[in-house]
This record gives sequence, structure tokens and C-alpha cells, in this order.
Amino acid sequence: MIAEYLRRGVAAGAVAGVAYGLYMTLVGNPLSSSVEHAARDHAGNAHGSGGLVSEMTTAAVSAGSGLLWAVLLGGVFAVALYLLEPAIPGSAAVRSYVLAGAGFLTVSGVPWLALPPAAPGAVHQYPIGLRMRAYVGLAVLGAITATAAVLAYKRGARRHVGLGIVAGAAPILVIAAVLTLATPTVTTYPNHPMDLVAAYQGLTVLTQAGIWLLIAGTFNALRRRESEYRNGPTRTTDDALVGGGP
Amino acid sequence: MSTNETVGDRLDVARTELTATQIAAGLAFGTAIVFALMFVQEPLVHESMHNFRHAAGITCH
Repeated sequence: MIAEYLRRGVAAGAVAGVAYGLYMTLVGNPLSSSVEHAARDHAGNAHGSGGLVSEMTTAAVSAGSGLLWAVLLGGVFAVALYLLEPAIPGSAAVRSYVLAGAGFLTVSGVPWLALPPAAPGAVHQYPIGLRMRAYVGLAVLGAITATAAVLAYKRGARRHVGLGIVAGAAPILVIAAVLTLATPTVTTYPNHPMDLVAAYQGLTVLTQAGIWLLIAGTFNALRRRESEYRNGPTRTTDDALVGGGP
Repeated sequence: MSTNETVGDRLDVARTELTATQIAAGLAFGTAIVFALMFVQEPLVHESMHNFRHAAGITCH
């Protein structure tokens, strides 16, 4: 059964990956380059591509990485869904979306509260090693937050669904507030207009959330289609075969 | 799929369905992709994924 989940997850990841690869080609690449150039024109030379590889290579590899990224998330999503499904509340379809939300919080959402997505040309205040360790710690915190939210929802929902939703939102809001208030600024943008940075970050958040949503949606659609197929004409054939056997 | 299945049951089923080699291969494959996309700092690899890392908000940039 886990192989079935994995197959569906990777297929869903591929669907999301093609969409995200297109986004990288049509929006992500040109936007990143222009933000980068704008910052560099303003500053002389900021952090970024120092011309080691051509812009075309960067664009192609970036689009390919986007595809691979979504396939990876789809695969991880499927294995996690297979293992954790019994512990997640809701119908089969809702569970997928709950897990996708938990995945987004873990991989992106919670880490971004302290280490916001950096637009090209950002000036980092901390060295890369420290940021990597912080990222891993924040991803663990994200997983704990998502787990706490699900457990709180289950407790609250025993009395009332609305109470469950409020209880489930509480851990997420608390972590969001604490991280936003308590963590230092890790990136500055001396050479960017602030609304350009905000737009870039907004797009990043939306598209990553979009990947998770698309993975869960496609996974559900595949599962529905396969079960309809199984309960349709093949079911009767199988039964007939089994009935006709020795 | 029974309704009172637990996470433990799922783990047990997975363990009987998969061999240790398959699990190890899957984990290794996943780790390799995560490492390549998120953590490799080698300049050539890093440079060619530059736009992706920014656009996807990968922290380890």
C-alpha cells in the first residue's frame, strides 16, 4: 500500500512540479534576474551570480530544480500521509490538505518567520553555517507546531468543531507571534525599494503554498479516480474471476 | 482501510511490505535531493540554482 501512496505522491509532485517549473521559467527567473540587476546597478556589486555560469544555465537549472523540488515534496508528502493518516482528523480528502498545511509550516512557513525568503541582492547579517543550523531547528519547531495544532484541534473538537478550530489555530498563532517579535532581522536590503522586496517575498510564499495545495489536490484526485476505477467495471470482473476459481 | 487503524499499524504494514534495502534506498534518494537542492554550497551547483533558491525561499543560500 505504501508503494501506491508513493506512486500517487510522486505523480502529484510531478503535476505540481510542471506548474512550478513553468512559473520559474515565466516569472521566477526573469523576476529574480531583474531584482538582482536592479540591486547591483544601485550598489556596484551585491551578493549573487558572479558570472560563474551563464544566465541561461541558471535559468534552465532553476526551472529543473523547481520541478525536482515539487517531486521531492510530493514523495515526502505521500510517505508522511501513509504513516500519519490514522492520526490526522477529518475525511480522507481533508487529511491530505491538513498534512499539506503541516508540510508547508514545517518546510517553509515557520522557518520563514525568523529567516524570511531572501530576494536576490539581500545582505545577510549572519554567516551561512549559522543560517543552516537555524533553518533545521526552525523546521523541527514547525513540525512540533503542526503536531500541537492537530492535537489541540482533536481535543477541542470533542466538544465542538468550532472550538477545535480555535484550539488548533492557537499554537500556530503563538509561534508566529513569538518568532516575529523575538527574532533579530537576518537580511537587510540597502539597495531595494521595500515594496519590491515585499512583492518578491509574497510571491514566494504564495507559490510554495500553491505547490503543497496542488500536491494534496492532485493526490486526492488520483485516489478518487483509482478507487472509482477499482469499484467500477474491474471489480465485477475480479469478483467473477474469484467466484469462478477453485 | 479500517477506521481504528493507528500510526503503529501503518508502520508495521510498511515494514512487512518493504525490505530494509528498499527503505534505505528511498531514504538515501530523498536525502540526496534535499542536500542538492537545499544545502550544497559548492559554487557551480549553487550558482546554477541561484534563481530557484531565491524564488522558492530556500534559506540556505
